Amino acid sequence: MQTLKRLYYTLLSWLLPERLALRLFRRRFDDLRRAVEGKLVDKFVEILLGAMELSFFLMRGFRRNLSGFAGSYLLRTSDGRVAAGAHFAAGRMRVDHEDFPDYSVAITFKDAPALRRFLLSRDQDILASILANDVTVDGNLNYVYKLGFLARDLFHRLGVG
Amino acid sequence: MTKVTLKDLSLREQRLSQRVLELKQAYFRAVPEICCERPVLVTRFARQHGFFDKQRISALEKARQYRHVLEHRRPVVWHDRAVERSMASFAVKDRSLFAGSTTSHFKGVPIFPEFMGLALWPELHNIKTRAANPYFLDDDDARALNEDVFPFWLDHSILEVCRKRLSSQSPAPGGRGRDTIEMNLLEMLVFFLASKANCISHTIPDFTQALRLGLRGIADEARKRGQAARNAEQRDFYAAMVEAMAGIMAYSRNLAAEARRMAAAATDADEKAELLAIAAINERVPELPARSFREGLTTIWICWTAIHLENPDVGLSLGRLDQVLFDLYQKDIASGVLTVEQAIELLACLWLKIGDHVPCVPATGEQLFGGTGSNQAITVGGVDAKGANSVNDLTYVMIRATELMMLRDPNLNARYFSGVNDKAYLRRLCEVNLNTGATPALHNDRAVIAALTAKGETLEQARDYGVIGCVEPGSNGRSYGATASILLNLTSVLELALYNGEHRHTGRGNLISERTGEAASFRSFADFKQAFVRQAAWMVERATALNQALGLTHQDVYPTPILSSLFEGPMDKGKDLIFGGATINSSGASIIGFADVVDSLAAIEQVVFTEKAMGLPDLLAVLDANFAGHEALLARLRNPLRTPKYGNESPVADALALWLATTLDELFGSKQNYRDGRWRVGYWTMTNHAGFGRLSRATPNGRRDGENFTSGITPVSGVTPSLTKALGSVASLPSKVLSNGVAFNIKYTPDHAHLDRMLDNFVASVEGYFDPVRGGAGGMEIQFNVTTHDTFVDAVKNPQNYPELLVRVSGYTAYFKDLNPQMQQEIIERTEYDLGLGRAVEFARNS
Repeated sequence: MQTLKRLYYTLLSWLLPERLALRLFRRRFDDLRRAVEGKLVDKFVEILLGAMELSFFLMRGFRRNLSGFAGSYLLRTSDGRVAAGAHFAAGRMRVDHEDFPDYSVAITFKDAPALRRFLLSRDQDILASILANDVTVDGNLNYVYKLGFLARDLFHRLGVG
Repeated sequence: MTKVTLKDLSLREQRLSQRVLELKQAYFRAVPEICCERPVLVTRFARQHGFFDKQRISALEKARQYRHVLEHRRPVVWHDRAVERSMASFAVKDRSLFAGSTTSHFKGVPIFPEFMGLALWPELHNIKTRAANPYFLDDDDARALNEDVFPFWLDHSILEVCRKRLSSQSPAPGGRGRDTIEMNLLEMLVFFLASKANCISHTIPDFTQALRLGLRGIADEARKRGQAARNAEQRDFYAAMVEAMAGIMAYSRNLAAEARRMAAAATDADEKAELLAIAAINERVPELPARSFREGLTTIWICWTAIHLENPDVGLSLGRLDQVLFDLYQKDIASGVLTVEQAIELLACLWLKIGDHVPCVPATGEQLFGGTGSNQAITVGGVDAKGANSVNDLTYVMIRATELMMLRDPNLNARYFSGVNDKAYLRRLCEVNLNTGATPALHNDRAVIAALTAKGETLEQARDYGVIGCVEPGSNGRSYGATASILLNLTSVLELALYNGEHRHTGRGNLISERTGEAASFRSFADFKQAFVRQAAWMVERATALNQALGLTHQDVYPTPILSSLFEGPMDKGKDLIFGGATINSSGASIIGFADVVDSLAAIEQVVFTEKAMGLPDLLAVLDANFAGHEALLARLRNPLRTPKYGNESPVADALALWLATTLDELFGSKQNYRDGRWRVGYWTMTNHAGFGRLSRATPNGRRDGENFTSGITPVSGVTPSLTKALGSVASLPSKVLSNGVAFNIKYTPDHAHLDRMLDNFVASVEGYFDPVRGGAGGMEIQFNVTTHDTFVDAVKNPQNYPELLVRVSGYTAYFKDLNPQMQQEIIERTEYDLGLGRAVEFARNS
C-alpha cells in the first residue's frame, strides 16, 4: 500500500507542475490549515506528518530539506501510546505507528494540543511546554529544532498559519 | 610620579565628536543582523578536513580552521548600510577610527553552530517579526544556515556530544529514558543552567604580550618553545599558537589592503587620509609592538574580533584597559601627538566596535531570560599588584567616554580601595552613576582581594583582578575562571527539601532527587536544615558532574588556541586553556534566589518551629493554594516587623544568610573541576531571577506563584525600609564565601536639584557599605539604578521615548526597552531609597 502511494505521488510530481499538484491535494492542505488554526487539533500529528510526507513529493524546494538528512522521531503520548514514528533517510520521509528503540529523539506529549503548541506556537511556548511537563524530550534536541523548522517551512510555503 | 594630572576630573568640556555622534545614532537605529560568514566558513572547513568523523580535534587543527576563517572573511573597513526596526536597510556614514567588525554586519549576531546556534533553526522564517528583540536575516543567509550549516552539526554540537558521552555511561542513573539525570535536570530548566553548552571562555585575555611583543613576537616565542618541546602534544600546541597568530595578522593585513583600495578610490581628501591612516596602522599592528595609544587600541580590537571568532560572545571581558594602555596614552599625551579630546574620540569609536554584536538568543530564551548584551566588562581604577593607587588620567578619560556614550556594552566596572584611592575618584564614580542612571558598578578592592587570596591566589595576583562578564573578579589575563559555569536555582533546593525530593513544577509524585523527610517528620528547624543541606549537596553534585562532562567534551572537540595564545600560562605550560593551561583554573557557580531562600528559611524557623503557629504541612498547603484565603498569614510573612527578613540587620535572618553562603561555599569548594581547579560561589543573577521566578510556585517568604525572585545578593524588594540596615546586612557577609562575585542592586531617587547634597550622601552610602569596621572586609560590590519610579513606568508605556534608557539588571547593564515585561516589572518594584532620608520611597506597586 505504502509503495503504491509513493509511486502515485512520484508520478504526480513528475507529470504535474507543482502548483497543480498542490491544488489536487487542496483538501489535505485545508485540513492542515485548520489543524494549525486550532481546529482538528486531535488529529494534528497525523495531519501534519501526512502533509509533510506528501509535500516532500510535490514541492521540490521543500524536498531540499531532506538532502543528506537521516533521523527518526518517535512521537508518543504520556500514557506511552505511540502516536507516530517519522523516519527520514535517503531523501525520503516515512510515517508509521510502530514503536522502535533507535530513535534520534522521542517526544512525549500530554495531548495533541500540547504537541501543536510545542512545534508551532511563537515565542515562549516551546519552553513553556517543557516546563509545564506538557512535553518531554529524550534524545537529541537538535532534531527537535530541525522538526520545528520543517513544520514552519511547510506552513511558510503553503501560506498557512 | 602622580598618575593624575587632569585639572577637571569630570572632563566636562569634552563632548562627542560629529563622527561619533553619527555612528552612535546609527548604532541605536540599527537592529542586529544574523551573520552567516563565520558558520559557513567554519562548517565548510570542518567538512573538508573530516572534523565530523573525528572523536578528538586537536588545538592545531582548530588553529588551522580559524586561520582559514580569518584569512577568508570579508575585510570590512567601514560599513555602508544597516537595517532598522522596520527591517528596511538604511545608509550608514561609518567613519570609525577602527577597521573590522566582529561579524560582517554593522551590528551583527554571530552564530556558533558548535554550541547552541541550532536553537535558531525553527525561527529562520519568522525571526524578523518575533515580538522580543527581532533580528534581521535575509533569505540567502537563511537558506545557507538551513542547508549548508545546521544539518552538519545535528550530531556534533557540544551539548549533543556531551549527551552521548553521558548516555554511553552504563547505567544512566536516575534519568528518564536514555538520558542521564544530569541532562534531564538541565532540560527541565528549573534546577540549574550549565553554560558550557553555550559558552566556553568566560574570562579576561592578557593583552600585555600582544601590545609589548606584537603577535609576531608571540609566534616567535611559540616557535622557539615548540622546537624544545618534550612531546608531540606540546609541539602541536605551540604550532597551533603560531597558526592562530598568523591568522589574526592576516586579517589585519587584509583590512589594511582594503583600506588602501578604498583610499585610492576616495575623492574626499579627509576620507582618503583617514583610510590611509587606518591602512598604515593595520599593516603594523597587531603584528608588531604597539607604539602609540591608537595602535594599542587597534591591537586590542583586532585581537578581540579574533577571540570572538573562536569563543562565543558570552561575557568575555577586556579587563583593566586603563592599566594596560596607560603607558602608551601617557607617552602620546606627553609628546603632544594625542589630546584628551582625541583619546575620547578613539575610545568612543572602540566602545561602539566592542558593542557591534549581540548574542544569539532564541525566542524562548528572550521571553524568559532576554535583554542581555554580550556583557563585555571593562575594569578601571583600584590598586596595582603592589597595592599602590592605580587610578590615572586614562581612568578618568575612559569614565568620561562611558558617560558620554551610555552604551550597554562595554559594561564599565570601577574598583575602589578606600584609603588608597582618592575620595574625589569615588565621588566622580557616583556622579557618573547619577548622570547615566546605571553605570559603573563599584567594587570594593579590600573585600575582593580578601576573597581571592582566601581561594589561594597570591596577593599580587589578587590585587590585579579585573571584572568578568557581570561582576565576577578574576586575576587579569591569568585566571581562566569559567565564572558562569553553573547558575543554580537555590529555591529549587528549598523546594526539594520541603517536598521530600519532589518539585511542584515537575509534578508531585515524581521523585527528582532523594527522600530527605516528609514535612511532618521534621521535629526541629535543625532537622529541616539538615534536609536542606542534603538536597543542596545532591544538586551541587549533579550540576558539577554535568559541568565536568561538558568540560571534557570541550577538551575533545573545542580547544581554544587563539585565546590560549593571549593568556598567561599556556605558553609556559605548553597546553591549551581548556586543558588547564592558565595560571589559575577555577570554575564558578552563581546562585539564584538567595534572599528568597534566606527569608523563607527565616519564616519557617519563626512561624513553624519557634512560635509553632502552624505545622510545616499546613504551611505547604497554604503555598499550594498560593496564599488564597490566607491573606492574614501572607501579610504577616511579608512584614519585616513580624517575620525576620534579610536586609534589616535582623540577627536571625543575617545568621541564616551567613550559614547559607558558608554552606554553599563549602559544598562547591570541595569540588574539583576538569582543569584541576576548585569551584567558587557567587551571587549575581543576570535576568534569571525573573525567569526562574516566573516558573516557580509560591515560597514561604510570602512570594506568590510566578513572582520574581530577588536579584543577586540583594535583599527582597519592599521589606527593607532602612538603607543603612540593608547595606549593613549585605556587607556583613564575609567576602571569602562570595569569591565568584556578587551583584548588590540598589535604586536611588535622583535629586538633580540638590546635586552636591545627593552626591555627598551617595558617596557616604558607598563608603559605609565598603567600610571594613564591621568585622569583615566590607561589602564586595554595589551597583545602582538612579532613575525615578515614574520614568520606568512611563518607559513601559512609551518605549519609543526611551531608546537609550540604561539599567543595571543584576551584574550587567541593559536597555530597559529590551527587557521582557517581567524583568521590567522587577526593576520597577525594586526598593528605591531617598538618599536624603535614608529610607525607602513609597510608591504604588504594579502601577
